[in-house]
Amino acid sequence: MSSIVTGRALLVFAALAALPAVPGVPTYYLLLAFDALLFGAIAMSLDLLMGYTGLVSFGHAAFYGLGAYATAILMERGVLSLWACLGFSVLVVGAYALVVSYFATARRGIYFALLTLIFAEVVYTFFRYTQTFGGSDGIQGLPDAELWRGVPIDTPQRKYYLVLAYLAVAYAACRVLVTSHFGRVLVAIRENEDRARFLGYRVQRYKMGVCLISALLTGLAGAIYPMRSAFATPDLMLWTESGEFIISVMIGGLGTLAGPIVGGVFFTILRDKVSSYVDWYFIVIGVVLIAIVLFMPKGLLGFRRLLGFRQWRATG
Amino acid sequence: MARDGVVLDVAAVSKSFGALAALAAVSLAVREGEVFSVIGPNGAGKSTLFNVVCGLYAPTAGRVRFRGREIAGLPPEAINRLGVAKTFQITNVFPEISVGENVRVAAQSRSADSGRLPSLWRRPDVDMRVDELLGAFGLAGRRDELAENLSHGEQRYLEICLALATEPSLLLLDEPTAGMTPGETKDATQLIRRVTRARGLTLLLIEHDMSVVMGISDRIAVLHFGEKIAEGPPEAIRNDPKVIEAYLGPPEDEGPRARE
Repeated sequence: MSSIVTGRALLVFAALAALPAVPGVPTYYLLLAFDALLFGAIAMSLDLLMGYTGLVSFGHAAFYGLGAYATAILMERGVLSLWACLGFSVLVVGAYALVVSYFATARRGIYFALLTLIFAEVVYTFFRYTQTFGGSDGIQGLPDAELWRGVPIDTPQRKYYLVLAYLAVAYAACRVLVTSHFGRVLVAIRENEDRARFLGYRVQRYKMGVCLISALLTGLAGAIYPMRSAFATPDLMLWTESGEFIISVMIGGLGTLAGPIVGGVFFTILRDKVSSYVDWYFIVIGVVLIAIVLFMPKGLLGFRRLLGFRQWRATG
Repeated sequence: MARDGVVLDVAAVSKSFGALAALAAVSLAVREGEVFSVIGPNGAGKSTLFNVVCGLYAPTAGRVRFRGREIAGLPPEAINRLGVAKTFQITNVFPEISVGENVRVAAQSRSADSGRLPSLWRRPDVDMRVDELLGAFGLAGRRDELAENLSHGEQRYLEICLALATEPSLLLLDEPTAGMTPGETKDATQLIRRVTRARGLTLLLIEHDMSVVMGISDRIAVLHFGEKIAEGPPEAIRNDPKVIEAYLGPPEDEGPRARE
């Protein structure tokens, strides 16, 4: 079964890789595709927590924003290497996530959601209301990053391939993770945390582990973002951003990995299209979301499943 | 340290919840390879005793030793890794994953990678052990069914499969036949005895149904209002006046108290 999924995933990635080669695709659409795939990658990372472990994080925007600031801070100082930026964001996000995940998983139930939210709000407030890293303006006007010396990631095509490469690597890593020993324990924790303990599993370690992995993947996505936008602002860390990640996971289908990618892409494109017509686009998005929750409670991919496609749920 | 062949040594264990003394200085010693049952009317403290042994509660006073090692106060996962597995009176499985996946996640708990970094990408091959357990309990044909879709009796068996998959040397069964019909109870009792004997397990069993324990136990302890009032082989327990009184009420009562 897993080989079927891999075959289909390869096909999808091949199609995505061919997108810039289609004649007449405007730059605008390539950059929208960048945002959509990045959002999808983040939703997929969050699915490790929400769909597989049953933990809802209301603070993923902080991991995302910290990753973005890590890149921006380096680039502002003339360090343009993609790899240095990714490495630095892993350090920054990892250190923060270690603290958050330790405290957030120490208690059960609603505390995880609350503590992730509170920590994220503290980080947001620091970046927004102190002038340490530019206050509400953040860090603006960044140059292009470099893949290595002399190879700048400057054109929309190159930026698009950057995010596509990241998504492919992150997706493969998540697939391996959820089918591993570790991934099965996560599902067991989602299903019945107490019983998992009586089978010898140190549940908090597993929760911390998956929280850390999810945070790092989200932080890496954040690190890529300024390489397209040329800025990092505190708004990236706002709790509404965390809410949009959660919505994307739910639109796509919990516990499917591929679903939340589709959900993130769908959400980004919907927001872009609707907001170009009306200012109150959130009302339209809200109606669409309510319809999805009511009529496709398992998400977009879950709905496909009802139509007779094979199940690919990790738990099957 | 441990007395001859004693696997589990419970010494003067007390457990209070506020003013309620659920267990009062209860002692018992379970020997290697035997079937030891704890019986008593509901509310006698049987489940509390189990929960102390398996790590859900720390005792208020007293010691619990497993193979000479103090385990009172250790968390459940640590006690399980020492080789003590427990089943639950109320079925406690992983409802929305398949029967096979239920047993697999339990079985991989003892694989070499468990708790180590390679467990992030490796997938231990425990198929043989899963098949063997499902086969032993007649669940092989239900492998791909979601656990929540099993019948009550099947779920009780899955419950035991999960515990056995963690390869314990001491198995704690908390009313394994709860909710079964008399016919099912008889089959289940025989099956449990056969499987545990084949694996050389020591069994600590909780029951309130006397008929279940009489047939399979080597020794029986009787709890009543948190105190141990008798211990011995089934025949002695059956005829012990204190036990009869605890179950049926004192002779001078107006009519016997309900057994449950």
